Amino acid sequence: MMRSMLIISRQGPWSGPSAREALDIALAGGAFELPLGLLFLDDGVFQLAAAQQPAAIEQKNLSANLQALPMFGVDTLYACARSLDERGLDAGSLALPVDVLGEDELRALLNRFDHVITL
Amino acid sequence: MKFAIALFTPPHSPAARRALRFAEATLAGGHEIVRLFFYQDGVHSASANVVCAQDELDVAAAWSRFVTDNQLDGVVCIAAGLRRGVLDEQEAARYRRPAANLSAAWTLSGLGQLHEAAQEADRLVCFGGN
Amino acid sequence: MATLHLLSHSPFDDGRFASCLRLLERSDAVLLSGDAVYALQPGSAPQEALVGLDPSIHVFALAEDHVARGAIPLATRVQLVDYPEFVELCGRYDRVNSWL
Repeated sequence: MMRSMLIISRQGPWSGPSAREALDIALAGGAFELPLGLLFLDDGVFQLAAAQQPAAIEQKNLSANLQALPMFGVDTLYACARSLDERGLDAGSLALPVDVLGEDELRALLNRFDHVITL
Repeated sequence: MKFAIALFTPPHSPAARRALRFAEATLAGGHEIVRLFFYQDGVHSASANVVCAQDELDVAAAWSRFVTDNQLDGVVCIAAGLRRGVLDEQEAARYRRPAANLSAAWTLSGLGQLHEAAQEADRLVCFGGN
Repeated sequence: MATLHLLSHSPFDDGRFASCLRLLERSDAVLLSGDAVYALQPGSAPQEALVGLDPSIHVFALAEDHVARGAIPLATRVQLVDYPEFVELCGRYDRVNSWL
């Protein structure tokens, strides 16, 4: 029985390598076909914002990596409703489809996984 | 119980020392450490190049001794290491960098090692922050 | 299945404390270490938040960090732990979530 891992990404996309390195954990686990979940919480939801132009700050675009996740078996991306709301982000206009979860659902999500890493 | 222990912060961070004391307590308590995995800025905690004042705890050196003395599997993420300039001889040669600074107690490898450890361990405990 | 949440950032400077508390499930636990022990400051909003948590949620603090920061008087629901107890707690709860 494989152990599952939830990765909670709570840093913004351009605040250092954290967002990228959280994603790398997800991609690596996906490559080994491990059961994984990826949740965007707090400033992590900014990774999902549309129309980002990281080239302006000479950064690589993370959206290709995010879009690759289903190919690596990470089918569902989760986002915290409150985090989106606090930051004025509308779930409908994000760059990627996500399951938006309220706090009860987030607690239930955590409980489904054997391991959790919050970056 | 089997533990996988991961460190995400550099040797001068409180978490680096805390993770070491936790790891020591794990073994002292009769548990097994499946792997130590250093990621993000934790790669610096595997540096052989840290210089500490005489009256300060040399956490990086203490970690290396801990890994060696207990014959543990100590892995540093290669991607995180390269990004932060923590290289072994092979990578220093490959990228023609002037120095290899990874302590001999540690091996550079991929995130697959973190996942493998998480599959084997009953508990994955990560350390970071202040 | 219950989670042991590890916090190590000051609650005054950082959003992790508040985010963690919002995600706590009944029977989860919180272990404060490093600057997170500042959440125990009497009369502070974080301390009130901890005291007000569901009674099934245990609050632990790493003793060395409490001592280092002046060993302030603690609310009765807070339990100080040493490293062996920290290890034991990790086994007692089903998973450990560190707010890195």
